[in-house]
Amino acid sequence: MAAAVETNIQPSYLDIDRNVQRAMAPGGLKYWLWVAFCAFLTALGMAFWTNQIYKGLGVTGYGEPNMWAVYITDFVFWVGIAHSGTLISAILFLFRVRWRTAVYRCAETMTVFAVLTAGLFPLIHLGRVWFFYWCVPYPNERFLQPDFRSPLVWDFFAISTYLTISTVFLFTGLIPDVANARETATGWRKTLYTILAFGWQGTDQQWRNFATIYLLLAGFATPLVLSVHSVVSWDFAMTQLPGWHSTIFAPYFVAGAIFSGCGLVLTLIIPMRKLLKVEDLVTIWHLDNLAKVVLFTSLIMSYSYATESFMVWYTQDPIEIATFQQRYYGPQGYLFWMMVVCNCAIPLLLFIPRVRTNTIWLFIISIFVNIGMWLERFVIIAGSLATNAEPSQWRFYVPKLTEVMLTVASFGWFLMNFSLFAKFLPIVSMTELKEGIGWLRHAIRETYPYRKAA
Amino acid sequence: MSDVALISTFGSDEECAHAMEALHAARVHDFHALSPFPSEKIIEAYSEANHLPVRAPVRWWVLAGGITGFLSAIALTVGTSWEWNLNVGGRPIASIPPYVVIMFELMILLGGLSGLVGFFFHSRLPAFESLRGYRSRFGADKFGLVVICAENEVSKLESLLRDAGAEDVAREAA
Repeated sequence: MAAAVETNIQPSYLDIDRNVQRAMAPGGLKYWLWVAFCAFLTALGMAFWTNQIYKGLGVTGYGEPNMWAVYITDFVFWVGIAHSGTLISAILFLFRVRWRTAVYRCAETMTVFAVLTAGLFPLIHLGRVWFFYWCVPYPNERFLQPDFRSPLVWDFFAISTYLTISTVFLFTGLIPDVANARETATGWRKTLYTILAFGWQGTDQQWRNFATIYLLLAGFATPLVLSVHSVVSWDFAMTQLPGWHSTIFAPYFVAGAIFSGCGLVLTLIIPMRKLLKVEDLVTIWHLDNLAKVVLFTSLIMSYSYATESFMVWYTQDPIEIATFQQRYYGPQGYLFWMMVVCNCAIPLLLFIPRVRTNTIWLFIISIFVNIGMWLERFVIIAGSLATNAEPSQWRFYVPKLTEVMLTVASFGWFLMNFSLFAKFLPIVSMTELKEGIGWLRHAIRETYPYRKAA
Repeated sequence: MSDVALISTFGSDEECAHAMEALHAARVHDFHALSPFPSEKIIEAYSEANHLPVRAPVRWWVLAGGITGFLSAIALTVGTSWEWNLNVGGRPIASIPPYVVIMFELMILLGGLSGLVGFFFHSRLPAFESLRGYRSRFGADKFGLVVICAENEVSKLESLLRDAGAEDVAREAA
């Protein structure tokens, strides 16, 4: 009841600043224990990676025909996670969707760190990581021809561009907020914010330039986000492998990326709003809208799974049919059905408004979405490779401890970066909340009955 | 006669924009607004007062960067194919459709980066000194309008700003 009494249903510009700056206050013991735990997971992963570099890829479960397995699954999973950040920050910006203002900074931060995490996996997957520069397509004297027809080279360009543009977009949006934080900060934080603000003062001329560049970057990021996951999907679809060679892959991967990304935004933002005490800025109304996106993309995923299966049946290609039979009823068929439950069945609960406005339910569903989408990538990648066109080669992949630990470590690395950002930089955009303060007040009014009930 | 900075404070962007229009109508040109968010009304008033389009010249930087990226990608892909030309079963040495992906990505990359440079250039960033009349409140909850004028115009402009809705008007000598 206390929370309901404290809710300010008519927040002012200063209330927004106070709330965000309170979230940026120095972290306590629990916060640093959490960061230390994430750093420990990261260090553990680095130890396993070092061991893999020393001993070679033999320490993993890799072997013919499964030469792409958990590492590439992790790569596709993290790239996919990144996409919802761009959806929320750029695409919904272009459509002037007002609920995005409270959650977009969190989603955009997630995008940058998710792409950084994803970028590690092709390096890990290489085994001999010191030869990575051989893959970089530039004219060289080593008689290595960069083949620009290859989807893997497209992927290199797509991911590099996506990381750069996402970082520029995040950084540009941060400048006015950091300048605002600079005015009240003290000590080394003041120095840090002063450097990051570049002397921003919010003049009419600066805002005019800001509005234009922000709009153009959003316009650029929109086709970019569609292209990046399409290119990632073509890493698979351009091959002749049964289970991969499909025209549906590009839209199917993009929808899956947004689905998984919105799921992870919910997973991050629900505890974050509680721990950083920004519940008055990121309200149930915002979560409700985010949940509707998750529900919508879940329906697209269900449709895609059905279409994929229908296409296999319709072509009557015996190898494709055999691959899909193995996918459904083979030794790892349970992974496929777990995926269907997590991605298609459980999100249907979001049709119930009471579920969408209950943070515990939303958090649980978002965890299932994350699990389901990781499984989807694993089923597509490792499952299809296991059952190629040569039945004598069929072998189902089972990960070893190295892959498992590196996957766990990737979550530690991602969460450590995200947690540090959330505490040291404005994780909710003060500028955009002020610009749409009417919508924030609307959100709080809509949310008030739920908080009162809580 | 020395200049004076009149620092007026407004509670809303509408009032601030209204004051900017009034100043423009009174043929006062040396003023700038400070605000906590990109208000369309203030940007429009600023553009009108300075006879500028609402969209900033940053867009030309983006266009130039985009075109450069696109052309660089053509040079990189086609040039590399010719440099290492391998005739595989009579297929074209330079195969344009797959290269379009590279062209698109480099267009976006250089367009975005040159836009960022243009944004810094036109916004005069990094700035190492505070602008005349800058107050931290104008980045938090208030809108500021700073007018630079001669001493004999102060009382006239002060009343103009108050009529437009200024909550407070302070003077700062040069």
